[in-house]
Amino acid sequence: MSDLAIRVDNLSKQYRIGRLQHYQCTFKEMVSAKTKIFCSKAGSLFRGKPNIETKFNDSIWALKNVSFDVKKEEVFGIIGHNGAGKTTLLRILSRITRPTGGHAKIYGKIGSLLDVGTGFHPELTGRENIFLSGSILGMKRIEINHKLDEIVAFSEIDKFIDTPVKHYSIGMFAKLAFSVAAHLEPDILIIDEVLAVGDISFQKKCIERMRNYASSGKTVLFVSHNMETVLSLCKKCILLEKGKLVENGDTVRVVHRYLLKSFLR
Amino acid sequence: MNDSLSSNEIRIIKIEPPKGWMSLNLRELWEYHELLYFLIWRDVKVRYKQTILGATWAVLQPILTMVIFSLFFGKLAGIPSDGIPYPIFSYTALVPWQFFANGVNQSSISIVGNADLIKKVYFPRLVIPISAVLAGVIDFVLAFIVLIGLMLFYGIVPTWKIIFMPLFLFLALITALGISLWLSAINAQFRDVRYAVPYLIQAWMFVTPIAYPSSLLNEPWKTIYGINPMAGVIEGFRWALLNANTAPESTIIVSTLVAIITFLGGAIYFRRLEALFADVV
Repeated sequence: MSDLAIRVDNLSKQYRIGRLQHYQCTFKEMVSAKTKIFCSKAGSLFRGKPNIETKFNDSIWALKNVSFDVKKEEVFGIIGHNGAGKTTLLRILSRITRPTGGHAKIYGKIGSLLDVGTGFHPELTGRENIFLSGSILGMKRIEINHKLDEIVAFSEIDKFIDTPVKHYSIGMFAKLAFSVAAHLEPDILIIDEVLAVGDISFQKKCIERMRNYASSGKTVLFVSHNMETVLSLCKKCILLEKGKLVENGDTVRVVHRYLLKSFLR
Repeated sequence: MNDSLSSNEIRIIKIEPPKGWMSLNLRELWEYHELLYFLIWRDVKVRYKQTILGATWAVLQPILTMVIFSLFFGKLAGIPSDGIPYPIFSYTALVPWQFFANGVNQSSISIVGNADLIKKVYFPRLVIPISAVLAGVIDFVLAFIVLIGLMLFYGIVPTWKIIFMPLFLFLALITALGISLWLSAINAQFRDVRYAVPYLIQAWMFVTPIAYPSSLLNEPWKTIYGINPMAGVIEGFRWALLNANTAPESTIIVSTLVAIITFLGGAIYFRRLEALFADVV
């Protein structure tokens, strides 16, 4: 129990897709249908959740009864095809969205990097954005002050640090954004594909940073389509498919199954 | 059990489906006060970027409105102003009014405006509308400095009552925040709010004693008028700063009650809708 970082128990998330289906013929029927929609919309203002069952003709389980454990100090991989539910899972664990069913427990402070440059404002300078983005990602002001030089050095763009980021190239922007993120120190770090930034040497630097991070006693939850990175970083892995967990365990075996499925498709 | 956990300083976060009404969780809100600070700082820094006049706009808006009001309502229509020169009578009202109006304008669309944050990272969502309203305090201070200049110009010396002014500013803040919590949460689901707010503000301005004094009303209507919390705020400002002889106690009491109820209701409603935000913005 004490070496557990994350416990996921029967987690499910339902999303609605498409719009209301209504076949109205006469004006009167149309009005009554519209009134019904309006009432249900107005009702949802107070219910605090959309009424999926009655309102929408179609809904999809982005996750269905997913359960797994992540131990402390593990780099844990999540793989699967597009639409398998990986991002939904990360969003639920990051507390951005709430599950429809099941629950999860997280033991420790959690930090999530679901995008590059979360909270960056184009009008502010690189330096200002370090403070803004760092604070949004959960760093304390003292901590940012303390790490400022390190972050700037890591980003390799110290010349432009006092330029508004709207003048940055995409690569520069990504480097700075990842540098801020790389200096987060939560107990559990959730990462979604953000490694795909910068040039190869910068990517290597980032992967190295993640490896060090894990060996310093932190937990990393990692989503990637790059099997090479997954194999080199993660000992354990889960494979998601259409919202369901289909494989859980040793990375080599899980990746093997994933690749096999990809070829069979 | 719990002691052994806290000694390791491990905090357990439970993730569950949303169920009903949420507590306000002020403790967590306090833990994020630095984020609140940085979001206010961002809004203030960015507000007048790439403008020629910059922060002058904060002063220009109430001054121009004051000039128009003085010409049309003061001179042409001859609306009374409790024996106070009309320009300063209206400007004293316009300063807190602009704070309120801009706060509601910015804050009511703030959840949708910060969608990229809400979809990517966790923090107490209340931070967003609160920061949007608080960022207006800087504009208020600038406009208030001009107000002091005007008072000197008209030879109005503030009395000890001036110490109550911050309380009325706080009342305006609570009112703006209360309204914004409702509107920003609704706007997350239904973008109608964005189009409705300008009309709401405009209509609200006419039912608030900015261009005219509330002394035009007799009791009990004057007290009932306090249902509009901004009526209390503005009469309070005039009373505290201009030494207007009508002490508006009853209006202010009603206004304060209405503001608190609006605020608490808004906060509770916002917390309930919060779980939806990431899925609908």
